[in-house]
Amino acid sequence: MANQNGIVPEITDFLYREAELLDDGRHREWMDLVTEDVRYQVPIRITKERILGGGVSGVVENMFHMDEDRDSLEMRVERVETGFAWAEEPPSRLRHFITNVRVGEVRETSSGEESDVRSNLLLFRSRWDEPEHVVLSAERRDVLRRVDGEWKLAKRVVILDSATLPTMNISFFF
Amino acid sequence: MNRELKNQMHPILEEMDQSLPEGEIPAGIFNDPEIFELEREQVFGHSWVYIAHESEIPNPGDYVLRYIVDNRFIVVRDEEGQVRALLDICRHRGMQVCRAEMGNASHFRCPYHGWTYRNDGSLIGVPSQKAAYGDRLDKSQIGLEQIRVEAYSGMIFGTLDPEVPPLQEWLGDIRWYLELITRRSPEGLEVIGAPQRWVVDVNWKLASENFVGDSYHTLMTHRSMVELGVAPRDARYAMYGEQIHIPDKGHGSMVIGAPPGAKLPPFWGYPEEMLKRARTSYPTKEQFEVARETRIMLVTVFPNLSIHNPIRSPHHKYQGSVPMLTFRVWNPIGPGKIEIFSWFLVEKDAPEEFKQLSSWSYLRSFGVSGTFEQDDAEIWTRITNGAGTSMGRQHKLNYQMGTHQEPDPDWPGPGVAYPVNFTDVNLRNFYSRWLELMRS
Repeated sequence: MANQNGIVPEITDFLYREAELLDDGRHREWMDLVTEDVRYQVPIRITKERILGGGVSGVVENMFHMDEDRDSLEMRVERVETGFAWAEEPPSRLRHFITNVRVGEVRETSSGEESDVRSNLLLFRSRWDEPEHVVLSAERRDVLRRVDGEWKLAKRVVILDSATLPTMNISFFF
Repeated sequence: MNRELKNQMHPILEEMDQSLPEGEIPAGIFNDPEIFELEREQVFGHSWVYIAHESEIPNPGDYVLRYIVDNRFIVVRDEEGQVRALLDICRHRGMQVCRAEMGNASHFRCPYHGWTYRNDGSLIGVPSQKAAYGDRLDKSQIGLEQIRVEAYSGMIFGTLDPEVPPLQEWLGDIRWYLELITRRSPEGLEVIGAPQRWVVDVNWKLASENFVGDSYHTLMTHRSMVELGVAPRDARYAMYGEQIHIPDKGHGSMVIGAPPGAKLPPFWGYPEEMLKRARTSYPTKEQFEVARETRIMLVTVFPNLSIHNPIRSPHHKYQGSVPMLTFRVWNPIGPGKIEIFSWFLVEKDAPEEFKQLSSWSYLRSFGVSGTFEQDDAEIWTRITNGAGTSMGRQHKLNYQMGTHQEPDPDWPGPGVAYPVNFTDVNLRNFYSRWLELMRS
């Protein structure tokens, strides 16, 4: 546990730094925080019966809102850079609120040191001059990996708290 | 709604009656509470509406929750294998009896007083029936309300109208084009997982019309993907292809091949082994031959089912082509609001590796996060917004493209085909059907 406690500030710093880059639309710099073999998934969530003994209900295993690798994440970033990605032209005003950070014990893997990190996300989105806004709530289940001394995102699974999404599109990262 | 409206035509419809033959449509139809109320009754009250694919409920007891406008149905396969659409409202005091979006159940029990229905809709349990009702309650008369359900080639439709003609008659010649997709393989299609569902501030007709025949928007709306080299820069691609409409029905399709000189694999780029199986799977030789030359296909079945089946790839650097297939329903929930249901489908007998790649082609180009569909949602939202304004609603929008074009006499399929996609002929046909229903 001592080992784990030592990395908690490093990991929370990482998550806050990442949120800042996403809020500021600095997508290239965000891509630098992502490993080459990253998996990034947002499974569909549906209304289902309670799981006996508790648990997260209704996470669909084989269909997603997003199912990305590094190439497809890059495609999304490049797309916005063209200036013709109308979903983000003008850009949305985004704010990532990250709380409830839970850092798992560091483990040695063939790719390096990794830690399972969970955090809660509230994502605010506002567009144009509309007074209405979109708020999405989710838990992020990440795998962070230490690459050359720096933490990077190796996997992210976003468990949304909506079944029917209250957003006209997902043109941003969680 | 205002009852007087029923006896005299709504002024916007009157206007449209005059302007549609000239290829103009009053923007007011795209965001108007009275028009929407009329649509609920006149269009969605008398149409066959797509609700599910048979592969979603393969076994007795399998069910999914689906909507026709604001009505919520349990679409279920009963113990005898018959597909039914049960209104999710208890006949006792009106509570919903189903508490999951999909699953398997032999019975549905109301949580209010416990009335219990079999999965064929019949009421079989009333707690303390004898003490509470004596012999005055005839359970056989009060099952869950059911609507007509019919299936065609794996596609399940429901209708709120007991009088509407049978589904096959409603579909008419669009069946030939649906079969290009549903009969590609002997095993047929399957839905993977559950549909994405999301809400967009868009009028449903803007989505339906886009998929029925708007190839013209590709180069500008999807310019970002053109810049990335994912969508072709050459305007011939948007113009090229066949646009077919089914007169009097409102349905339409775009069947797009490879422009002369373009190097694209045949048969949408599906794996070789699937092309081999398709030869005997299609009902007719003509369909096989058209399919072999097809790279992109879109269909809208009036009123609100659209299908997109393009050659595509999992990302911009991917070498090769991986086609994808999506069905989507634009379910209207307000004058300027829809809920989109978007399904990914693939042939059951496709290679497993292909199924995975194809799902990536879909998720990264279409659906809520699709790099194409994101921009459609943005643009249709702003159009709907403008159509609801006091000045914008008075505009006449232009649907005049291609009135100088002549039909293609050599096209082997049914319907009326034009040898070019720079035409609004399918859209005009869609709106002429819409207007007919709105006025009836």
